[in-house]
Amino acid sequence: MSIENNIGISSESDSTKSTQYATFYLGNRLYGIDVMQVQEVTQALPVTVIRLAPSFVKGLINLRGQISTAIGLRELFELNTEEVKENMTVVCRIDGNLLSLLVDRIGDVVEVNKKDYEPTPDLIPSSIKRFMKGVYKTDGPILSVIGVDNIIAELTGRNEQSHNKSHKKTQGAFQ
Amino acid sequence: MSSSRDQEISEFKTEAMDLLDVAEKSLLALDSGGDFKLHYDSIFRTFHNLKGAAGMMELGELQSHMHELENILVNSKESAVLKKELIDFFLRGVDATKQLLENKTIVFDYEVPISEPPIDSAVTSPDTPVIANAPHKPSTSTPSFVLSESSMGEFLAECDEISERLSKNFLQLEQKTNSQETIDTIYRDFHSLKGSAQLFGFSQLGELAHLMESCLDPLRKKKVQLSNFLVDVLLKCIDLVDRMIKSIREKEPLNFKTQIHALTEALEKMISDPQGDDSPMPENIVPQETTTPTTPGVDHDKESATTIRVPVPLLDRLMTLMGEMVLVRNQVLQYSSQSDDLEFLNLSQRLNVVTSEIQGEMMKTRMQPIGNVMSKFTRMVRDLAKELGKKIEFTLTGAETELDKTLLEAVKDPLTHIIRNSCDHGIESPQERKRLGKPEIGSIAVRAYHEGGQVIIETRDDGKGLHRNKLLSKALEKGLVTHDKAASMSDRDVMDFIFAPGFSTAAQITNVSGRGVGMDVVRSNIEKIGGVVELNSQHGKGATICLKIPLTLAIVPAMIVRCDNDRYAIPQVKLVELVRAEQNGNGPKIEYLQGKPVYRLRGNLLPLIDLKEILRFPKTDQQNSEVVNIVVLNAEEQYFGIIVDEIQDTADIVVKPLNRFLKSLTTYSGATVLGDGSVAVILDVIGIAHQQQLITEKKDQLLKATNSREGQLKNQNTQEFLLFKLNSPTKHAILLSYVHRLEEFKREQIEYSGQQRVVRYRNSVLPIISMNDFLNFKPKIDISENEIISVIVTQRGDSVYGLEVNEILDVLSTENVMETGLADRAGILGNLVTEEEIIVIVDPQRILMEISKTMNQNSVTPSSQEGATLTIGKVFSPKKLKILFAEDMVFFRKQVTKVLQRAGHTVVFAVDGKDALNQLENTERDSFDLVLSDIEMPNLTGIQLAKSIRLNSKWKNVPLIALTTRCDKASIDSGLKAGFDIYLEKMNPEELLNAVNQLIHSKSEEIAA
Repeated sequence: MSIENNIGISSESDSTKSTQYATFYLGNRLYGIDVMQVQEVTQALPVTVIRLAPSFVKGLINLRGQISTAIGLRELFELNTEEVKENMTVVCRIDGNLLSLLVDRIGDVVEVNKKDYEPTPDLIPSSIKRFMKGVYKTDGPILSVIGVDNIIAELTGRNEQSHNKSHKKTQGAFQ
Repeated sequence: MSSSRDQEISEFKTEAMDLLDVAEKSLLALDSGGDFKLHYDSIFRTFHNLKGAAGMMELGELQSHMHELENILVNSKESAVLKKELIDFFLRGVDATKQLLENKTIVFDYEVPISEPPIDSAVTSPDTPVIANAPHKPSTSTPSFVLSESSMGEFLAECDEISERLSKNFLQLEQKTNSQETIDTIYRDFHSLKGSAQLFGFSQLGELAHLMESCLDPLRKKKVQLSNFLVDVLLKCIDLVDRMIKSIREKEPLNFKTQIHALTEALEKMISDPQGDDSPMPENIVPQETTTPTTPGVDHDKESATTIRVPVPLLDRLMTLMGEMVLVRNQVLQYSSQSDDLEFLNLSQRLNVVTSEIQGEMMKTRMQPIGNVMSKFTRMVRDLAKELGKKIEFTLTGAETELDKTLLEAVKDPLTHIIRNSCDHGIESPQERKRLGKPEIGSIAVRAYHEGGQVIIETRDDGKGLHRNKLLSKALEKGLVTHDKAASMSDRDVMDFIFAPGFSTAAQITNVSGRGVGMDVVRSNIEKIGGVVELNSQHGKGATICLKIPLTLAIVPAMIVRCDNDRYAIPQVKLVELVRAEQNGNGPKIEYLQGKPVYRLRGNLLPLIDLKEILRFPKTDQQNSEVVNIVVLNAEEQYFGIIVDEIQDTADIVVKPLNRFLKSLTTYSGATVLGDGSVAVILDVIGIAHQQQLITEKKDQLLKATNSREGQLKNQNTQEFLLFKLNSPTKHAILLSYVHRLEEFKREQIEYSGQQRVVRYRNSVLPIISMNDFLNFKPKIDISENEIISVIVTQRGDSVYGLEVNEILDVLSTENVMETGLADRAGILGNLVTEEEIIVIVDPQRILMEISKTMNQNSVTPSSQEGATLTIGKVFSPKKLKILFAEDMVFFRKQVTKVLQRAGHTVVFAVDGKDALNQLENTERDSFDLVLSDIEMPNLTGIQLAKSIRLNSKWKNVPLIALTTRCDKASIDSGLKAGFDIYLEKMNPEELLNAVNQLIHSKSEEIAA
């Protein structure tokens, strides 16, 4: 995911309206997701473990009859998994699929200023950077913006290389 | 019929409008400088899809309109830019399409308004009638379909037929008042006349037909009654049609505009004023035949009372709520079971019943048999075949397979494309097929069935299939692949190209297909609904395209099992039985075969999988629990058992797909919410079987059989033997790896093939070899008294053999080394000394070799009679032959074909002597190197066949082999007399191959001499 791309995505949303982010904490780190992508916030619900699944997939949650996949952000962001207090979930709906991101604490919905935006610094390892859309220098701690669609795309791409292949073909056909 | 057609049309229209909106958006996006490729594709797809759909809905005008638009669009693909004028043009085109959809008539100018001045200034003729269809004007820039003389002849013949039928029907109609059936027939005829006239570019004829059709429409819908006036006008129309056809036949220009105009005017009045109150020709209208104004209204009410249109999202929502209601019901039931309150129990029971019923009905609202969509294809194939001058037989099986409505809708377009492609590119022309030795009539077979929680729709044609090199060169041309890479690509990858957008190998673009949009759409549409497209093709033999559609919305019955603390659902479709194996009892226990657990289920070895192991639960020491629960499953006809901790319950579950990034876990096929609100994962039975390589096991066994014995003996420390009893005090055993299966047969199942005892076994013949006889053990007790015989099935080469033993005893696992010194005779490998006893190890491979030797000696060949020795295994220079094989029984056909094909020969089979003779008649001399025939066949026996062949001048010298179960001296003599060169017994692969080789060898020597 190149930097230009990151800017492209955020400027697109900026042009329509000022962006609001639903924020939450993992430990003392502040993260945010585009508020339009968040369906709801819930208490931690019982999770059914999926054996054999990658470690960041914590399991499945019954969200009023719908099945949501619980994602451990700690695992994704390679954070310390020892002091886990994941009490809340942030539920996102992407392409009809539900994702429950396990978080420690919910923050406010914040409105950010475009001038505070900065692309994800290069010092962040690319294994983490690929899930991020950039950072905002807010008054409080720095807000790291998570791209939920990036997560899906990355994780799906990891498993569906064949699909990627066919996409490449698609592009090739017109060149 | 008419109401369902109306419904289809209205559904089609809704969909078409949506598509047009998309195209419009794309056009507008292009106008404002959007990405060309993206939007071009979207517009193109809309046009193409609409064209196809219109064709299927028999909307001729729309189809030709879309075809024109598409053609013009294609021209601008190269320039990679759509000029403003063109965008305007297409927007107008889209508007016109919408009007067409609203049953309005359009006059559309297909002249492309490019900056250069229009070539043809007189675009529309001045006297274009008011009711005009899209005039099909073959534009000069894009060649539309090329008409051959023969298709024109067909067209005219069809017109004659139609007009004849029309006159007849009209007369009938006049005599017998309003017969709905007759009216429908007439209507259909008008319609097809219109369609084909437009297809062939006779717009005037088309107009006329359209005119007639539209005035019949109110009659057909019973809005008006038939009046003499109407009949008169229509008959006049038909006369005009006849004259037009005559003109067309004589290749005269059509000039009937004035006549059409006059008729149009007369009919227009009729249509606009069906009551005919102030009609200019009132004398022609019989008063009582006018309808009362209320009638149409009543009809309308009736129709709307039986069906209503419900938006699918609403149904989806209802389904979701239904799922939740089922959960609540389950919870109530669970709660009530602990209650003593009778009233409450009663209520909960009623809730249960009602909920189940609602659930069932709810499901029905969404499920539709695939036939609803597929039956249309029959017509489509027929029309396409006609259009393309091909002969195609279309078969449809599994039409009753039900699929969710949304999924059904989603597969409709892809299927249309696939079948169109098959018709157009797959099936060859009858001449071509004849030349290739295929039956003249090509076949396209669509089969739909459920498998593993999926609906599989398989389209198979026997056309030319895909050509690797053609695909590759196209791919190179398009720059999809580099030269270096191309050579190393697998066939599968190469075939994948067909799914790339804009990829088409068709040399000519036709109205049917060939722009390569189709397969691209197929894949994207199927993948959108979570399905898979698989393509298999053999060049020259045809292609099979498999659509695997998940049943995401379906409620399936499932078995809930527990493993550790987790619960898993197993779809009942795959479930065969549940087995409780008590480890300490007398019954069968779990045993280990090469370290893998197996269970003897009624004499068959059932491979077992520990669910804990596949799910990688941490290992525990509770290996020796007293009772083991086994769920016996069937994955693609391979049975296996899964060991679970507990079998809990059956439940109807709503299958929900797993998130896309979990799709790679082939262990699971989805998830579901259980009655208590917890989530359970659904096990993918086939996925697990593949993972554990149970399905491919047969291949492994073949490999094992070819491995050297020594290698097996040395490489493993622990060896496992199957112990069995013979008429001997000593126990005998064979290496377990040789054991294919253990079977029990009833004595009466045994039949004889010559001297050989055989049993029919899985569609083939299993020779039964008595170990007692072979090892010369005299029966102490007469074992023939036993009703049941125990048989060890083993494999040698490609064939299976049954070794009959007295009793199967046990499986012995030992590290002891076998002593080979005491192998005193053929078939004995050595002895195994255990703590208690000595066991004789038998070598089944050797025994089979010995047996087959003796079997070979029994058969009679002319060479052996003449004293020439036929050595087993002697290899003549192997020449690849083309063999005609006449055999009426399927399993012999299969077996022998397999043997011959293994040896590299090509086998063409005939179902009986007559068929064989026909095939010989119809092929060129020397196109078969050899004829192999059964003796007893219906229609024409082998003897008769041989005689006929020997009398036939073309074929009299062809080598002939008889292959039969009738091997007594008299039969052999009569066979040889009839002209067979060699007379063989069935079931003897080596000998057959040798005889084939030898015969060819001697024949060629004969020729050389």
